Amino acid sequence: MKEIVLTIDGKSCHGVLGDTILEVAQKSDVYIPTLCYLKGLTPIGACRMCVVEVEGNPKMLTACTTPAVDGMVVHTKTAKLFSYRKEVLELLFAGRNHFCMFCSQSGDCELQRLAIEHEMDAVRYPYLYADFHNDASHKELQVDHNRCILCLRCIRVCAEKVGAHTLDLEKRGWSANVCADLGKALGESDTCVSCGACAQVCPTGTITIREFAYRGKRNQCDDIVESVCPLCSVGCKIKAYVRTGSVARVEGADQEGSDGGQLCHKGRFWLPQSTERERITVPLIREGSNFREATWEEALDLIAPKLQEAHNRNRAAALVSSLCTDEELAHFSSLFRDSLKLEMLDTFDGDVLRGFMKGFKPFGDQGVRPFTAAHNILDADLVVTVGADPQEEAPVVASYIRVAAIKNGAPMIDLSLGEPPFDALTDHHLPLTVVPNLAILVTELRQAGEASDKGETVLDTYRKLLADTAKTAGVAEDIIEEVVKALVASEKPIFVLGRSLAKSAKMVTALGNLAIASRALFSDGLGLVPLVASGNSLGSINTVVGEKAWLDDVKADFFYTFSTGMIPEEEEALAAISRSRFSVVQTPFWVPPLTNLADVLLPAPAWFERSGHFCTIEGERRRLNVIVPPAAELRGLSAVLEGMAQRLGVKLGRPETAPCVNAFKSEKDPASARMVTL
Amino acid sequence: MTKPKVATVWLEACAGCHMSFLDIDERIVDLLDKVDIVYSPVVDPKEIPQVDVGVIEGALGNEEELHLAKVMRENCKILIAWGDCAVFGGINCMRNFMSVDEVLKEGYVNTPSTVNPKGVIPGQDLPALLPKAIPVDYAVKVDVHVPGCPPDADTILYVFSEILEGRMPKVPVDMMRYD
Repeated sequence: MKEIVLTIDGKSCHGVLGDTILEVAQKSDVYIPTLCYLKGLTPIGACRMCVVEVEGNPKMLTACTTPAVDGMVVHTKTAKLFSYRKEVLELLFAGRNHFCMFCSQSGDCELQRLAIEHEMDAVRYPYLYADFHNDASHKELQVDHNRCILCLRCIRVCAEKVGAHTLDLEKRGWSANVCADLGKALGESDTCVSCGACAQVCPTGTITIREFAYRGKRNQCDDIVESVCPLCSVGCKIKAYVRTGSVARVEGADQEGSDGGQLCHKGRFWLPQSTERERITVPLIREGSNFREATWEEALDLIAPKLQEAHNRNRAAALVSSLCTDEELAHFSSLFRDSLKLEMLDTFDGDVLRGFMKGFKPFGDQGVRPFTAAHNILDADLVVTVGADPQEEAPVVASYIRVAAIKNGAPMIDLSLGEPPFDALTDHHLPLTVVPNLAILVTELRQAGEASDKGETVLDTYRKLLADTAKTAGVAEDIIEEVVKALVASEKPIFVLGRSLAKSAKMVTALGNLAIASRALFSDGLGLVPLVASGNSLGSINTVVGEKAWLDDVKADFFYTFSTGMIPEEEEALAAISRSRFSVVQTPFWVPPLTNLADVLLPAPAWFERSGHFCTIEGERRRLNVIVPPAAELRGLSAVLEGMAQRLGVKLGRPETAPCVNAFKSEKDPASARMVTL
Repeated sequence: MTKPKVATVWLEACAGCHMSFLDIDERIVDLLDKVDIVYSPVVDPKEIPQVDVGVIEGALGNEEELHLAKVMRENCKILIAWGDCAVFGGINCMRNFMSVDEVLKEGYVNTPSTVNPKGVIPGQDLPALLPKAIPVDYAVKVDVHVPGCPPDADTILYVFSEILEGRMPKVPVDMMRYD
């Protein structure tokens, strides 16, 4: 990249060709006020706050959209610019109804901050007093158009990052307004995914999250802690705002990263809401239908012999949530697997992980990583969803898919037994059963195209298989052929595998074959994105998840469960726990029915009180940080496990966490992967 | 030298700015050594006399308020607008989206808590509402704008101190607030 040098306010500033004036200025810490500009979104130069003067040019130019040119002499702080920016601000205040005194965002508002910065002590223009509506139709979001400055950040984030494109601009001139779905109330929108990204980027009090208005403004918070959302396999980076010892609000942290700083509705709302849930604060021992309070020592003294007894008869079982960190899982595995050699040991989502692992194994054995980082979907030119409901399983992955479809124009194919998840965007829909044949068809059609004799011989077998496949699947031949052609034509296809696929390891392997046939190859592995269940599912493969499923008919004498209480437990797990003779449940919250099944209930630190690492499907090891320190008497999973080990007289091995890459090493170029026989 | 005279008036507003003025606490004793407050909600006279500094809290919403603003302007050398209502119109502007008739009907008849079976709208002996509630500088020239809801006591004191020092004050950025 060609380096360029600009003189900004007399300072020599370096950038590269392609940078805007604003980008060069920011690299050199030269402050230029901005309002509609937001890093990560397409700059549009709408608000005119960032105007600068460039020597030799009589016009004022918007720094956010003007390409920087080598040798430019730029002034950003002249009296003329100051008064022009102030006028812009006054016009914004006069144009709509900005009354800070009764606005929930006062103090957090960028418009207010800039007006004060520009010494605006009165507005010299007559107010329009135009009556705009206040849309309160959405359950969580409030849209008060009276406070809108038409910066269009919300529209851009909704289209460019979330890919929902719910918001757009209606009407012209003074009446121009942000609208949802061609003029619906936001709460009635069919396309809104309620992720709240629009509220996160809104610089004024226009789009707000009602709940956050009473939980506290950003500027009332004492601290901001970066952490990671444990709720699904993506593990989005979060910024948690702490106020009076509680998590007041959560926002996406990675504005410039691939997710664009978005969060889904789960992360944004469930995480802060969980701070209000009822906590288990002391160890509780069952007495009839009630619990009585106990000390930690008393509880552990009761538990340990029960575990020993059950263990002697090989009837002890333990389940752990894969929302736990690598470090916690390593401790868990250290006691139960390494020291006690427990056979019945698993994570709640063990079955899902085993399904994927078994299906991926033939490719892993070849030294190829059988999956790729989720954000690579953004680079794909064809997205295939397979038995997946991304909006439910991993909503930010759904955003990636929509953005790929809208921005790259990537066609979308759905292979599933039910309805396609992205109804309006899906180009082709085929039943799951065609997958094994699809891999062969794609290979043959590609061979035919590359063969010297125009591939007539290959085409014969191809046509025959195509007819067979169509007949068996009950789908018209030309639909299957279109899908095959799309897969052959695509240069960077990607496959998103839903959790439901884990039921059939063979299908997962067949999809590996299809990915290889379609040349779905990314630098870090095959173009498959498995939507494993939760925050650290991949990490639990390294530590806890065993070879065999055992949950189904088990009747354990002792059952230890650690749940983070953040997502509901699986039915099968609950049934197995209820069949056990003695059940110990450690969890931060009162989460029925799980807590009802306990003979001993142990408190635990919640997600905001723990720390450690997660292996995410973004291909990154991400750190969970303590946001609020836990109460002194609270003991984590590790402390409880150590207490038990002590009482059992077993020595706890040094728990070791494995790096995420251990789950599936990428030793060879994915291009070397070969299809396997099913 | 005689002490400069100050008049303050409370128009369409909540009195919060005057409360904030009283929040300068014991410093008011020093201030009263230097100025005479000759007209204010907290002193007696019924007419606004000739003063050096006039202060208006509140927007202008009816004819009486408009009249008082004009008298204040005529009788003072420096006019200060205190608070968001005087500077921007403030919360009073909520009625500006309706006609005066609608506003009165809403206030005296339609409001669920109102018991007014005959639907009487008071009008006699009361100042008529202006078509819209307006900031003070829509009607008369204002020399010093002190936004804030209310402005901090320190800001109010700062403005007086500057005038006593012979400077025309401007609220500095670190003291400016709109809420």
